[in-house]
Amino acid sequence: MTSATKHRVNRILLWIVIVIMAIWMIFPFYWAVNSSFKTEAQLAMTPATFVPRSPLTNEVAFTWRNYEAVFSNEAFLRAIVNSTIVAITVTLVALIIGSFAGFALGKLRYRGKTGTLYIILSMTMFPAIAVLSGLYAVITTLGISAIPSLIITYLLFSLPFTAWVLTAFFKELPTEIFQSAQVDGASPFQTFYMIMLPLTAPALVTTGLLTFVGAWNEYLFALTFTSVQPDARTLPVVIANFPSQFSKQIPFGEIMAAGIISSIPLFLLVFIFQRRIVAGLTAGAVKG
Amino acid sequence: MAKKKEFSSDLAKQEQRLAYWLLAPTFLIMLAIAIYPLLSVFYSSFTNATFASSKPTEFVGLQNYQQLLSMTIVSVPPVLDEATGKAKIDADTGEIEYQSAVRVLPREPMRYKPVTQFNLFGTQYVLGATDPDFIRSIWDTIVFAVSTVFLELVLGMLVALIVNANFKGRGFMRALILVPWVIPTAVSSQIWAYMLQPNRTGFFNTVLWYLGLGSGEIAFLSNPALQLPSMIMIDVWKTTPFMALLLLAGLQLIPGDIYEAADVDGAGPIRSFFQLTLPLLVGTITVALVFRTLDALRVFDLFQIVLGQARYSMASFTYYQLIQNRAMGYSSASSVVIFVVLSVFAIVYMRSLGVKSND
Repeated sequence: MTSATKHRVNRILLWIVIVIMAIWMIFPFYWAVNSSFKTEAQLAMTPATFVPRSPLTNEVAFTWRNYEAVFSNEAFLRAIVNSTIVAITVTLVALIIGSFAGFALGKLRYRGKTGTLYIILSMTMFPAIAVLSGLYAVITTLGISAIPSLIITYLLFSLPFTAWVLTAFFKELPTEIFQSAQVDGASPFQTFYMIMLPLTAPALVTTGLLTFVGAWNEYLFALTFTSVQPDARTLPVVIANFPSQFSKQIPFGEIMAAGIISSIPLFLLVFIFQRRIVAGLTAGAVKG
Repeated sequence: MAKKKEFSSDLAKQEQRLAYWLLAPTFLIMLAIAIYPLLSVFYSSFTNATFASSKPTEFVGLQNYQQLLSMTIVSVPPVLDEATGKAKIDADTGEIEYQSAVRVLPREPMRYKPVTQFNLFGTQYVLGATDPDFIRSIWDTIVFAVSTVFLELVLGMLVALIVNANFKGRGFMRALILVPWVIPTAVSSQIWAYMLQPNRTGFFNTVLWYLGLGSGEIAFLSNPALQLPSMIMIDVWKTTPFMALLLLAGLQLIPGDIYEAADVDGAGPIRSFFQLTLPLLVGTITVALVFRTLDALRVFDLFQIVLGQARYSMASFTYYQLIQNRAMGYSSASSVVIFVVLSVFAIVYMRSLGVKSND
């Protein structure tokens, strides 16, 4: 075999693996799209069809019924609003407070720094399930309603995460900028928000995106703290416990439609900010 | 000179004060939503606290832990044939018939229920526990964590090598592999639950039936032998991309010219992977493994949504004790057990990462 043909064989093998990989990643989502365009009769067809087909004529037949159903489903519409409020508020709060901590951890000199770094790092791995009953008790005792309690408790994972990732980014900024601003008579806090913070804008976008995704997808706290307040449920809780409009069976067509709608904002973020998201994901785990 | 020194130490003091002020909000919030609740969980794990109950809360010592973790192994005698006095053989299966496990397990002071039976050197044993659900959830969660993390490492490495190769559309591929990661677990769990339906309305039964495998009625989610493999399959799909990205970050740190050198030396791609790439990735792999293991051990969404109360992970067991049974004390005790298991792994993680305060 000449080296040119060998190269071509390698290329073909590479593309075969790429295609298999792409199908594996995408297929469950394709199946959800396919099912979301089926009526209940089509969903009950055996064997299942790879595109929506009419049970009688076997011709391709789409329906928008599931989408109409979920958009007239009050619980689902309220969940969109709830999820948006919770995810955006958590992201903003975590970014503001986390950037304070990140700046201190990454750029300032103070006693006890190693200890605080250890605490923040261990907090990024703090298991939510370990404090579930404790938080539940605090929330019921204080009588905090569900939406604010979600915003507060989501800081458990989002705040240490933003602080940790931003620490890594602040560390990379040259210390000279910080020092020369100080020599020019700027107070350290002025240096922070007038010079350093703008420089970390890309890092803030990255961390903000990941925090938003985390809060949008969170399930354990949402399920627990909205158990007595159904109108505060977020999208994951509504989708996992979907209330049916029509039938007593599990309404898979509607669930798929609702699931697709609630994933679309995330897909947009992923395709627009792919590089930033990858950078942030790996920074959280790899950078020390 | 003296003035300058004073000035700089003033600055240092000012800097230190600022650092404490900037850290204060984060630490106060963590105190309120992590440390205080954690301490209260520890405390209530020693009580019989129950929600919405008029019964006064009492201190019960280690009783919750005893109830959660007590285990015993007892041998199960065979059923004796009255006529011959020998072990009775089941006519259908040709195997020895054993007595009911419930009868041989102790009932006082606590009642043990069977978790599993096994045969060792010809003797049948039963593993009994006072809370078989919890013991099973620990075992299942560990099996789940070890299998998913191993499979994700192997497949994630393959994915990472591919998206690190040079081809047209690589950027698009890198965005595409983020799809399983970004879909809310609640949504992907429902999609997979639907694909795993126990008849040919489900994707897997349809495909296996087309291929002539299976009856088209495989109960992936209610057959106990298939439940864990199904969970593992779903999680591997969902989390391999994340693993791949961690490994990709490590791959990109390896300078390209060492491969050129290997190429000149005539090392094939497989040899240069095992002899060059893998050793250089050891650090990344260790971090990724422990990071993922910690995540997998606290799996909740997937188990709660797909299996509900048919089979528990440690976390979903804890959730149901709290919300369904309102058993605050008991649920707290199982939280503490999870916390201890995870802390052991977390310490390993911190060690392997080696935190540095100054570079």
